[in-house]
Amino acid sequence: MDPQPEPVSYICGDCGMENTLKPGDVIQCRECGYRILYKKRTRRSKLQFR
Amino acid sequence: MVVKPGSVPDFEALRELFKHHIESFDHMVDAGLDTAIRHIKAVECRQAKISYTGKLTIDVCFQYNDGPVIRETLNFGQFPIMLQSKLCNLRGADPKKLVSYKEEASEMGGYFVLNGLERVIRLLIMPKRNYPTSMVRNSFSERREGYTDKAVVIRCVRADQSSLSIRLYYLRNGSARLGFWLRGREYLLPVGIVLKALIKTSDREIYVKLTSCYNEKYAKGKGVVGTQLVGERAKIILDELRDLSLFTQDQCLEYIGEHFQPIMPELKQASYSIEKLEDWLQKGRRLIMDEIDKKSQKFDISDIAQVKKIMDKNSSKQVSAAVENMLKTGRLVTQTGLDLQQRAGYTVQAERLNFLRFISHFRSVHRGASFAGLRTTTVRKLLPESWGFLCPVHTPDGEPCGLLNHLTRTCRITSFFDSQGKIKDYFKIKKSIEDILKEVGMTPSVPNTPLPGPPEALTVLLDGCVIGCIASSEVEKVVAYIRELKVSSASVIPDDMEVGYVPLSMGGAYPGLYLSTSPSRFVRPVKNISIPSNGNENIELIGPFEQVFMEIRCLDGGDGGRKSSFPATHEEIHPTEMLSVVANLTPWSDHNQSPRNMYQCQMAKQTMAFSSQTIQHRADQKLYHLQTPQTPIVRTSTYSKYNIDEFPTGTNAIVAVLAYTGYDMEDAMILNKSSVERGMFHGQIYQTETIDLTEQSRKSDQSSRMFRKSNVEKSAHPSIDSDGLPHVGQMIRPDEPYCSIYNEVTSSTHTFKRKGSEAVYVDYVAVDVKNSKQLQKVNIRFRHPRNPVIGDKFSSRHGQKGVCSQLWPDVDMPFSGNTGMRPDLIINPHAFPSRMTIAMLLESVAAKGGSLRGEFVDATPFRSSVKKDDEGSDSKSGSLVDDLGLILKEKGFNYHGLEVLYSGVYGTELTCEIFIGPVYYQRLRHMVSDKFQVRSTGTIDQVTRQPIKGRKRGGGIRFGEMERDSLLAHGAAYLLHDRLHTCSDYHIADVCSLCGSMLTTTFIEPQKRPVRQIGGLPPGRTAKKVTCHACQTSRGMETVAMPYVFRYLAAELAAMNIKMTLKLTDGAEVGA
Repeated sequence: MDPQPEPVSYICGDCGMENTLKPGDVIQCRECGYRILYKKRTRRSKLQFR
Repeated sequence: MVVKPGSVPDFEALRELFKHHIESFDHMVDAGLDTAIRHIKAVECRQAKISYTGKLTIDVCFQYNDGPVIRETLNFGQFPIMLQSKLCNLRGADPKKLVSYKEEASEMGGYFVLNGLERVIRLLIMPKRNYPTSMVRNSFSERREGYTDKAVVIRCVRADQSSLSIRLYYLRNGSARLGFWLRGREYLLPVGIVLKALIKTSDREIYVKLTSCYNEKYAKGKGVVGTQLVGERAKIILDELRDLSLFTQDQCLEYIGEHFQPIMPELKQASYSIEKLEDWLQKGRRLIMDEIDKKSQKFDISDIAQVKKIMDKNSSKQVSAAVENMLKTGRLVTQTGLDLQQRAGYTVQAERLNFLRFISHFRSVHRGASFAGLRTTTVRKLLPESWGFLCPVHTPDGEPCGLLNHLTRTCRITSFFDSQGKIKDYFKIKKSIEDILKEVGMTPSVPNTPLPGPPEALTVLLDGCVIGCIASSEVEKVVAYIRELKVSSASVIPDDMEVGYVPLSMGGAYPGLYLSTSPSRFVRPVKNISIPSNGNENIELIGPFEQVFMEIRCLDGGDGGRKSSFPATHEEIHPTEMLSVVANLTPWSDHNQSPRNMYQCQMAKQTMAFSSQTIQHRADQKLYHLQTPQTPIVRTSTYSKYNIDEFPTGTNAIVAVLAYTGYDMEDAMILNKSSVERGMFHGQIYQTETIDLTEQSRKSDQSSRMFRKSNVEKSAHPSIDSDGLPHVGQMIRPDEPYCSIYNEVTSSTHTFKRKGSEAVYVDYVAVDVKNSKQLQKVNIRFRHPRNPVIGDKFSSRHGQKGVCSQLWPDVDMPFSGNTGMRPDLIINPHAFPSRMTIAMLLESVAAKGGSLRGEFVDATPFRSSVKKDDEGSDSKSGSLVDDLGLILKEKGFNYHGLEVLYSGVYGTELTCEIFIGPVYYQRLRHMVSDKFQVRSTGTIDQVTRQPIKGRKRGGGIRFGEMERDSLLAHGAAYLLHDRLHTCSDYHIADVCSLCGSMLTTTFIEPQKRPVRQIGGLPPGRTAKKVTCHACQTSRGMETVAMPYVFRYLAAELAAMNIKMTLKLTDGAEVGA
């Protein structure tokens, strides 16, 4: 039914490891288990000329 | 002066400023609380908007009939923990470790983190503990028949820091009543009963003791305290007892027992039946520190299991919850009142707008909420007691002036910990003080034996207890000796003991030697010059009570306003010690007019500064940040002492003082456009939005909501990423959605939109699970770019604030004939004569010299006073102006700081030389972008159809009566009509000229749709289609322009059965 949403990259607030999560995934760093993640900064070009 | 890069700065001086908060909490912990820390970092609490707490466990001991003691450890819930306290895992961490914990390298703690907010306990001024004070209040005489307006009040503080105020009312018949408050009621007892009930004694003994203060030998001399009336009064008190036929101690006790019988069961019941923890938040050390929680439990049940069951029932977690709630709201919920004057306002949020504001929260002292409503100004005045303890400069002007004070730089508060951080043993201290006093000739007090009175001997009191008396001829020597012991590190006498020696005087304070060792008193260091100095050996800590009776010399070499020579025993260490930390940062504040220094203290606290070194880890609601801060060239010694350089608050701007374009009138200032573009005063506001799904959908669908982008309008919101959250680093315009929530049950999406009028950037998006697996909570931080624009507020450090009126192009700015420099900022010369901020001129000259030499300039105030000690150490002439001027001259500049300037527009030399030099300027947080309010058309009120008010809703600013009057006075009638009518609730009403009513008109259903009204323009005549319901005709229908509220008025009046009739005329007849 729904097209699979694209995954989004997050950076762990503790170890700095990059995590790619899909909706419904457990929000937790795969490396250290830290539970506060920060969203990765986007490349601007992706948005601007659409 | 400057910390070398790489070396670890010493924050000890800074820590000292926060010590009293931490010590207070530490004591609370020591005094019986056992808290285990949960390993959680304080940063996470701030991020996740939760509280920094630890598990509180209490050992409850049971003992039955001398049986063995049974210990049970109970969990009392999550107890808030003060940062950097004993229980905090940041305690004792070095800057490196703190940084690894994502804290400020200079983190001082002293506050709580509750729901992500930082809250500080407010310091409050309390009556001096265990010291009787006489009072005159009209309310006393209204208490009951026969009472005078005089009373003696003593605030008794027990060892557990709980307190009770006892009043002794003086009656008109010469007797006295002892009053105390219990459970919201005041109980009054004749003093005689209390005197007799306390000890087995006789009437004679009481009489002799009471009259011992009066001796007939000294009729009217220095230090005489009583007259023969004392004896008469004593007789009255004893007669009263005889009338009640109470002769012995037992009788008195019985009498008290009888009268208090009715409230005794009440007390018992409270402890038995409720059997909940009595959470007595006992606040109150004499001046300040909020203290301690005492739990008292009383059980009368002999079965442990049963007791435990009952205890389980009465959830023990509420103790911690109560404390947390008290810290969160600052409100105290007690039945007993705890002998405190106020119920609310015990905690405040420690805003981190800038570092100075943050520091001020920890150093501020409030006089008490009950004084805020007082009409008299007496409580706000500066007193000799407060000299050196409370800063005379750093107090807000206006409503809280003099009530909200700040501690001086060196003021400390005594605590349960000595200077080595060890817990004081008060019993031992008390014992040794008594021993020492006995050695030097004190007659110890023995029950039932009277002590001689003042002119002959002085009573010695230790923490409010009479311990003996000393012959008045000996006292001065004894005091000097005690002070010597106090200072010496070897003695047992604590260094913060207050030796309140009240000498004999004519009608002054009651003579005596009042020693106090108790915690929560103010102390400050002064030099004791009667003790030979080597190093810091003669620094003595003195209190506010004793300093009034001491001879402390100020460093200016003055005589204290007396004719004879100054018999100083003590000396101030440095004049700047009478100022608070913030007031200390004003360079050469002794050259400014005093109110300007006060304004600077205000403005320093609302400066947009370098807010935090851990800015990427913070999730404050609003955070002001200065992008390009600088360290001031001209600075006081305090600046380096407290490492203010960690959080600089401004920029060294080249300031020219001239009237250049006319845009610098009335405290406006011209900024150099190119300087601003190069980054001067650039800043931003970080604003965090927290979206918590669990909070919003508590009632019905628990986990049905999630962050997700709508599938339907996929391309509609490019600003939202596929996870329903915004892209990081992306710009979001007003009214653009940034976050979308999908509801699984209703399968609908809800988007959050940006409010406001400026575009913002997404700074970070932090996702947090909040204990469930699903993503439930998000912190989105937006960055508002706030570079200087016209209308932003700036200020120098001398209370000279101004608003930017133009960003003037660099090429059109005046330039210096010698250096070619253009100023960053132009202010008007009229800012100086009336305000007399000479220090700003000095700063300009000094900073110019300093920057030419490549050195920082020390601008510690009161230089001339301190200089006297070390004569001519570095300056040749001694005059400050000369010192600064000569540096400029040395470097080939004008002695007075003037320069030849050329007009930037015409290229011609300006007719006079211009005063120009670098001045440290602060950017204040008031910015037009947050304040401007503009409206042409917009939302209107539904009832009156007038424009609404409020900036947030796009409303207008009221054009009120006075504004109307001014337009009337100008005869601007057409403008007035435009403002008040056309632009407001212009309305065309149909009125029936036959009956004069405007409410009875009805529309006849039109054949075709009439032309719709366009804007506020009157439409073509539609009278034909309107009819009067009352007259049943449309013959008399007329249209009349009127304010819509008038129609509303007619409707309101009709509702009250009042008919309003309009008489329509042509207007020409009236006008004639």
